[in-house]
Formats: sequence, C-alpha cells, structure tokens
Amino acid sequence: MNEIDQVKLFDFLLKHKVENFIGVPDSTMKHFIKRGLKLNKIIISTREEEAIGIATGMTLAGSNSLVFMQNAGFGNSISTITSLVQMYKIPLIFIIGWRGYLQSDAPEHILFGKIQPEILKLLEMRSRILDSKTWKKSAEWALKNLEKGDSSVLVIRREFHD
Amino acid sequence: MIKKQAIAEICFKNKNAIIVSANGFISRDLFESCDKTTNFYMIGSMGLASSIGLGIAIKHPNKKIFIFDGDGNILMNLGSLVTIGFLKPKNLVHFIFDDSSHQSTGGQPTMTTKIELEKIAKAVNYKIFKIKSLSELKKLSSKLKIISGPILVLVKVKNNTQISKRVAYEPEEIKKRFMNSIMVK
Repeated sequence: MNEIDQVKLFDFLLKHKVENFIGVPDSTMKHFIKRGLKLNKIIISTREEEAIGIATGMTLAGSNSLVFMQNAGFGNSISTITSLVQMYKIPLIFIIGWRGYLQSDAPEHILFGKIQPEILKLLEMRSRILDSKTWKKSAEWALKNLEKGDSSVLVIRREFHD
Repeated sequence: MIKKQAIAEICFKNKNAIIVSANGFISRDLFESCDKTTNFYMIGSMGLASSIGLGIAIKHPNKKIFIFDGDGNILMNLGSLVTIGFLKPKNLVHFIFDDSSHQSTGGQPTMTTKIELEKIAKAVNYKIFKIKSLSELKKLSSKLKIISGPILVLVKVKNNTQISKRVAYEPEEIKKRFMNSIMVK
C-alpha cells in the first residue's frame, strides 16, 4: 500500500469516528503512522498487548478505537485477543502489517508470514487485505463491523525491501 | 493487613470511583466484598488491568479511575508504568496490592521480595504512597482526592486465609453493566 493511500486510509478512518489509534510501529505502515502522529492522534505503546489493553479501556468508555501492529506483535497478542477482546466482545479495528508476505523478506519473518492467514482463521478473526483499489471498501466494512460491535482485521502487505 | 480487608476499605470509602481490577484473587476479593456496577473485573489477560485503566482514564479525565493491581500482574507489564508516566493522567490512582507472591497460582514467590516497585514507578513520574497498615490506608483516602496523578499506592498485604468466590457474572455482562454505568450523560 503506497504512501498516498496510507494517508488517505488514516484520514478516512478518522473522519468516520475512529477516535483512538494505539499500537507499536511497523515500517510496512509507516506513512499511516506518520499521518496520525502529525495530527496528534496516535499513542505508541511499549507492546502490542498493552495497546490492546488501552484500546479496550477507551472502548469501554464509549470511544471507537483501532490498534496497529506488525504481525510479529500480533503473534504476541494472541492470548490477549482470546481472553480480552473476544471473551468480552470488545469491538476494535486491527491493522496488521504482513511481514513475510514476500518469500524474500528477512528470515525472522518468513515462518510467521506463512502461517498468518491460518492463525487469523483459527482465531475466527474476520480479515481483509488492503490494496490500492479496494481499501476504502474494506475500511467501510471494518467500520460497519465496529458499529455492530464486532472486531475486524485489515492487513497491509509488505511489498518492498529496505 | 489482609489483602481483602484493604480492597474492601478502599472500595467502601470511594463508592463513586471507577475500578479496574486485575485477574485472580484481586477481582474475586473485590467482587465478594464490594460489588458494584462501576467495577470492571478483568478475568484473564493477566497484566493488562493498568492498561485498561489508562484507556478509561484518558477518556474520562474528570472521573477518578482506580486500578487494583497485583505485584505479579504489574511485573508482567512493566511497560505500562512507563506509558502511564509518559501520558500522566491526573485522575489515575494505581493501587498495587503487593504480597510478593503469585497467590492465584499457588503462592509462588514474585521478585518484589527483593525489588522495590515504588522506585521503578517514581522514576517514571508517579507520586508514591507506601502503605503498611490499615490505619495508614484509612488516612490516605482524603489525600487521594486532592493530589493529581498518576499516583501509585503500594499496599503491602498478607494473604487471605480464605479464598473468595469467583466473579459470578458472565464477561459480557461485566462489560455491559460497566459501560452503562460510566457512560457520559
């Protein structure tokens, strides 16, 4: 997902009443995060589970929240997702950066990148992959789920090397 | 002072406070001694009571938010102290009931037998109160209302002789009644 679309995605979510963006940075979505920091709308936490905890508190206070993280951090968060988000039915939007999408990615990302779709499926988390043509539809889908009280996952693929 | 006694004392003296309680015996003690709709009993997700409390505190800056944490719980999420100290919510009061043990899993020791949590919290902008007796705890109540947070109240406790019953509500019910009771009107 290119820089322009990441900025547009942030603005679109903000305009549609997502009030809080909490997470741990990921270079895959660095333009999304940069936009949020510029607008003073981002809280960067120490770990992904912590981000989910803070977002849960804000949701309990009636404020729509989103968490962002790399898939490595999504792996860290599995127990928090099952025993907090899913058990209490806390509606959140997750944005997850898909490292290891390219088989030529750095070695630490290969295995998790490979099993990520299966893990999402096992957790029964509904997800959509964002791309330039359909990101707005996917964002609308996630917002609609949020309104209904359900969580959803938006995945941004890592399509470049640095 | 027994942990459950301390929990009941704070809850009774602060009936309007929003409380987020850590999983395990802390939530069970709170449920059995002082159940109310503004209690959020965190069942599972060990370590995250302070993060959930932080999220609520940011969104409700005019309400006092109490976190009832344990030593084992906060040791699992020490980063939370840093984030709270960085964001400095004035309305946040973080109680840690420190019995230097993982009581809910059989009383195994935690590292607070040698490490002082209050020193860590002080380094990240918390105001510190260390409490060792019930009379000290009783005196503290009036101070909490006038001092701005984040405040750490480290309460040194002994373990209960009896185990409190489990929280009787389903998780979704805990959430719904909590959300309804703290909603901005």
